Amino acid sequence: MLAMILAGGRGERLYPLTRDRAKPGVPFGAIYRIIDFTLSNCLNSGIRRIYALTQYKSTSLHRHIHLGWNILSAPLGEFIEAVPAQQRIDEHWYQGTADAIFQNIHILQVERPDLVLILSGDHIYKMDYRKMIAFHLEKEADMTVAAIRMDRNLSREFGVIEVDGDWRIIGFQEKPEEPKTIPKDPKGILASMGIYIFNTEVLVRRLIEDVRSDSSHDFGKDIIPMMIGKDQVFAFDFRQGDCGEAGYWRDVGTIDAYYEANMDLISVTPQLNLYDAQWPILTHQPTSPPAKTVWIEEGRVGTALNSIISNGCIISGGNVRRSLLSPNVKVHSFAEIEDSILLEGVDVGRNAKIKRTIIDKEVQIPPGMEIGYQIEEDAKRFTVTASGIVVVPKGIRL
Amino acid sequence: MKKKILVVEDEESLRLLYEEELKSEGYEVFTAGNGREAIQQLEIGKPDLIILDIVMPVMDGMEALGRIVSGERKIPIILNTSYSGYQQDFMSWAADAYVTKSSDLNELKKKIRELLDKGKVR
Repeated sequence: MLAMILAGGRGERLYPLTRDRAKPGVPFGAIYRIIDFTLSNCLNSGIRRIYALTQYKSTSLHRHIHLGWNILSAPLGEFIEAVPAQQRIDEHWYQGTADAIFQNIHILQVERPDLVLILSGDHIYKMDYRKMIAFHLEKEADMTVAAIRMDRNLSREFGVIEVDGDWRIIGFQEKPEEPKTIPKDPKGILASMGIYIFNTEVLVRRLIEDVRSDSSHDFGKDIIPMMIGKDQVFAFDFRQGDCGEAGYWRDVGTIDAYYEANMDLISVTPQLNLYDAQWPILTHQPTSPPAKTVWIEEGRVGTALNSIISNGCIISGGNVRRSLLSPNVKVHSFAEIEDSILLEGVDVGRNAKIKRTIIDKEVQIPPGMEIGYQIEEDAKRFTVTASGIVVVPKGIRL
Repeated sequence: MKKKILVVEDEESLRLLYEEELKSEGYEVFTAGNGREAIQQLEIGKPDLIILDIVMPVMDGMEALGRIVSGERKIPIILNTSYSGYQQDFMSWAADAYVTKSSDLNELKKKIRELLDKGKVR
């Protein structure tokens, strides 16, 4: 079994968080990057031969994988390797998800795995891929795609899978307005999660067929429809492998979705459990001293409530509520942080007030500045989402 | 109109042999001495079929094959080599046919006819 993670997503709707990094490299949950979830799933599922195919703005992602994921044993044939787009075959960048694999066909040639697990590095979820592999083998499938139930009215965001009673795929619609719903569940659709298991030989043959046809070279739009009726294609019900997380799977494709998924983590019982020792989520984080709070005197108390506070943070006489602080964030006296996400190295000056705001790495907030209180003013210099979340980009001088 | 065939072969004697034999079959033939030349030729004139040797200097046939199918998706390609082991190479599956080199060109000619006829139906 070889895993190939598509890690080249631009994540345009996550701008400005993706201004300097690809979507899988976007920080999440205070200390993680989005790709850590997929990589952790692989390791926890016993998959230890992993390529991450990168493309746009990949420096940050390569550094993260190099620093944080250089943990397997090469002598045992294990590796996690980030592969940049190399234009080995074509002088274009990847034209679609299928093209990304085709352009790296030499990897399959060298590795010669029986099965290839194709994953996206864009999603937050826990999944035991072994359950899906067992299903694939049991069905004697050529290709299996993981599917999750979604509300029917979200059909335009997903590839919608139609299955028979045996979970054999009999139809596939890409982002349809009128989706085929789940039998006996007219409000539900089966959405493709972009997780595929292929028998290697079938994968290669279909990729070649695809590259030689007029196609958008996409697994959802082109490869799956091509295979229906010709190959043994099945859908795997995500609930059978969701590690007891009640089908938790987030695309975090927009700033609002990203914000909500982060905020879930500070609730008393988050939908996504990061504390499960049976399914650890690994990452790279800088070695920093433990977090601390200081000052406890009249009118000046350093506090953090209902929040995630990472190593290296110092809350020095300021107040933090319902927020996520990445490593090495400083909150100075009388500053107030509410319902916000502060990424690594952010420094909030005295008396500053921050509300419903995402602040990217290393930004210095000057003393007394207010962000998130007057949305119209904020919108003049920052990205503000429809629901009023403000994003302060990396590198800005305030 | 005469069908155009691009012969990609590094050995000059073979190139000439193919050129003569295929011309006498009524095809228009042009040639390239390696993969890079073949790709340059493709920019000049669009052949109806390509015969591609694998072991060549500068750019070998397997690399050229990948580049050709990514650009000119529909042109039929026959891999023509002395070694049968290349069929293990995934990229070789991108060719429409695989013919082992022989002094008898009948098999090659037959494949050419087959692939060009298939093209007509399309």
